[in-house]
Amino acid sequence: MTPCLDIYALSIGYSKKQILFEDITLQLLCGKITGILGPNGIGKSTLLKTIAGLLPPLKGSVIPQGLPHDRDLCAFVPAQPWRAANFSVEDTVSTGRYRYTNWLGLENPLGKQIIAGVLEKTGIAHLAGRNSADLSDGEFHRVAIARALVQDTPLILLDEPTAFLDIANKQATVLLLKKLAVEENKGILFSTHDLSLAMQHCDLFWIMTPDKKMFFGTPAEMNRQKIIDRLY
Amino acid sequence: MKKLWIPFVLILLIAGDLFLGSVNLSFPDIISALTGYDSTDYVYKIIWNFRIPKMITALLAGMSLAVCGAQMQTLFRNPLADPYVLGISSGAGLGVAFFVMGSSWLGLGNGPSWLTNLGTAAFAWMGALAVMLIIVAASKRLKSNMTLLILGIMIGSAGSALIGLIQYFSEAAALKTYVLWTMGSFGNVTGNRLAVMAVLCLTGLGISFINIKDLNVLIMGEEYAKSLGIQVSRVRNRIFLATTLLAGSVTAFCGPIGFIGIAVPHIARMLFNNANHRVLIPGSAILGACMMILADIISQMPGSQSVLPVNTVAALMGIPVIIYVIFKNRAVKL
Repeated sequence: MTPCLDIYALSIGYSKKQILFEDITLQLLCGKITGILGPNGIGKSTLLKTIAGLLPPLKGSVIPQGLPHDRDLCAFVPAQPWRAANFSVEDTVSTGRYRYTNWLGLENPLGKQIIAGVLEKTGIAHLAGRNSADLSDGEFHRVAIARALVQDTPLILLDEPTAFLDIANKQATVLLLKKLAVEENKGILFSTHDLSLAMQHCDLFWIMTPDKKMFFGTPAEMNRQKIIDRLY
Repeated sequence: MKKLWIPFVLILLIAGDLFLGSVNLSFPDIISALTGYDSTDYVYKIIWNFRIPKMITALLAGMSLAVCGAQMQTLFRNPLADPYVLGISSGAGLGVAFFVMGSSWLGLGNGPSWLTNLGTAAFAWMGALAVMLIIVAASKRLKSNMTLLILGIMIGSAGSALIGLIQYFSEAAALKTYVLWTMGSFGNVTGNRLAVMAVLCLTGLGISFINIKDLNVLIMGEEYAKSLGIQVSRVRNRIFLATTLLAGSVTAFCGPIGFIGIAVPHIARMLFNNANHRVLIPGSAILGACMMILADIISQMPGSQSVLPVNTVAALMGIPVIIYVIFKNRAVKL
């Protein structure tokens, strides 16, 4: 069970005056799918963005483990990714390979192969040439996941990936994430309010309770210790 | 890109711009003036000293304003953004107002015309640069592009207010010089000044091409750009640099020319059906050149002695296009 990432004594929030959550010490595992649960406003998105490097940690640190220095730690998929109109799905996904493409953002043959493979894996190969503005929310969410996947990071963070999807798409998205964790040994960390879906599919839970405590463990353990009940 | 007819249109328009003008020149005369020196002296002079520099100026101005507008629209994710949205035009205008009306106060109003021309361009450029430096300084503190957009509009309004104040206290002759500058013209850019403008615009266009890769990410949001490890503030400053070089130089030498910068990127998106900046930036450049040269031909009113201000013609051409785009797509999409 290799760790992707150590979080040590981390305080998160948008400014020092307004600390949302303090003293988080945790480890994130590769090849596992971890769900963050907690009430609205507790700091789930803030935690994800701090790990992703989009927000600076107010205290403490996020330490990548076993990461080659020329690679990024994680890719981040926001709850409602912005779409660019008149941008093909293929081109949208290709922007994820920013590090690897040439100065104009053009792909070499290997890059094209990688993109085709990821489109296949995420089940959107048939959409490759489509205008991303014309896709449904579920379809575009897969594009955003594909875009995160081509970044080739050991870790993928997703902010409420199931929030705006219908039941079928929720299942499909979580199963896709599970496949990525198992088949590609990626660490997957996502926030969600969908308890039953999380119970069903997550390997591990991080639970942020309203009294600002952080718990972690398998869904079964969390259930046994009645920590899930603290959410309500 | 299967729009090979567009370069042909551009070539046709360039030819039209050389062949049509206030003075009626015969076709064989023009051809011989272009190919050698055996035509009548005045035809040669009109073509080489007036029409060709004017055509090149229009070409550069059109490409620059359109490419600049496309970048601004992407950076601010706002379909109404144009080259002047950050207050570049009113900065330039304020510089020119200071120069024109200041020199008349100091009794320098009757200096040689090359001095007036050069001073106008230099002060316009400095005004544009000053505004851009304020924006860059502010962009370190303001995280969001939307806040910057509002700041730019505020600076623009402040500039216009100051210009109004200066106008109120200035003499009639100086006022006329200033108003003529605001109407825009391609006819005054020849020789060395054209060379300077060309160097500035081509540098700006070059930087814009380097920006293409980052623009393709920025259109999907600053957060996404950050998550890819892009230093957004550096990219933003590079885009501002290109914008100031492009819009600032065109404004300095040709006056504030509106609507090309806002309209052409929308036409390019509609025509090419592709907002990837690898298509949008070169597409905007070539369509901007077409539009500007067409505006120049119309403003010369071939066969008549009078000349319309380029700014007015560009606006009258640009506005219907924007309205058409809005009605065709029901909305302007980015």
